[in-house]
Amino acid sequence: MSTSRHPLRGDVLGEQPEAMAAFWRLYGLLWSHGTVDQSIKEIARLRNARTTDCAYCRNVRFAGARDDGLTEDRVALIEDGYETSTLTEREKAVIRYVDTFLHDPAGLTDTQRAELLEHFTPGQLVELTAGVALFLGFSKIAVALGPPPGMPTLVVPTPDWAPGEAQP
Amino acid sequence: MTDPSSWLPDTAPGATPLERVFGLRPDLYDPFRDFYSLFWTRGLLDPVVLELCRLRVAQLVGNESEQRVRYRPALDAGLDEDQVAALRSWPHAAAFTDAQRAALSFAEQFVIDPHGIDNELRDQVADHFTVPGLVALCEVLALFEGFCRFRTILDVPAPPSVTIVAGPMPDAALT
Repeated sequence: MSTSRHPLRGDVLGEQPEAMAAFWRLYGLLWSHGTVDQSIKEIARLRNARTTDCAYCRNVRFAGARDDGLTEDRVALIEDGYETSTLTEREKAVIRYVDTFLHDPAGLTDTQRAELLEHFTPGQLVELTAGVALFLGFSKIAVALGPPPGMPTLVVPTPDWAPGEAQP
Repeated sequence: MTDPSSWLPDTAPGATPLERVFGLRPDLYDPFRDFYSLFWTRGLLDPVVLELCRLRVAQLVGNESEQRVRYRPALDAGLDEDQVAALRSWPHAAAFTDAQRAALSFAEQFVIDPHGIDNELRDQVADHFTVPGLVALCEVLALFEGFCRFRTILDVPAPPSVTIVAGPMPDAALT
């Protein structure tokens, strides 16, 4: 690989502090003040991480989802054989939704719509969809700006936000 | 209230289709708008570059709604419809500057496969826009792609024709 003329610092997103603060406000509110279970959002985040192949996103676990029951054994089910796994129908519906979002967002079927509305309110679907939009976009940033090699699985605090609070 | 084009069974009050859908969660919509608008209001990137990238991402994702909107700040900064018309064939079109080409090349790779972004591509962008500009471009591309897909999967309707809006807000499609 060629040497960069513009080497990036480790906390490269800090190059845009105002944008980063705005992102953390949105992301923290979505994660810690939303109405969708954290374990559901974590399943969506990890399904995207797997598809986008973001090393950072794949190896991070948010503590709130772990506390919500998403153990490593259950994380391991978010794979190709998920349809026949012991994941709940609600969790499987979310994985199907994320896959559609990533591969063919215009292809959401009437069956999927009905299934999602069985499990979530319209407001929760907006939250879930906004979450997946951010998961996708920011996992791509992590890839585009160079992920850390060989990163181990790491449990970190769930993003949160409160007025006047500094970003993590 | 039910929006005629959204599959969600109820929607929020609002002047635009996106407001009526995303507005179901004002606790998230308001901070989203604050984040999204920063790239224009704080001048993080040239408005023409922002607009070209937004429209190219919308083409790649296949979202008609985004493609029918033009943000006034980009028009004021020099964007014209000839450039927009040439956008699908930008590698061979004479309508774009080297800086715009660098941004469009990066945007395409970001959407199609970010693993294909290498030092050379990052450097091309940073040469024209600096490293903070490269970071801003990454962040705004993340929003463009993610929320193009949001609009598509939730069936947020498109305006009936190309619509010029005053500001950079994503909810301004029909205002």
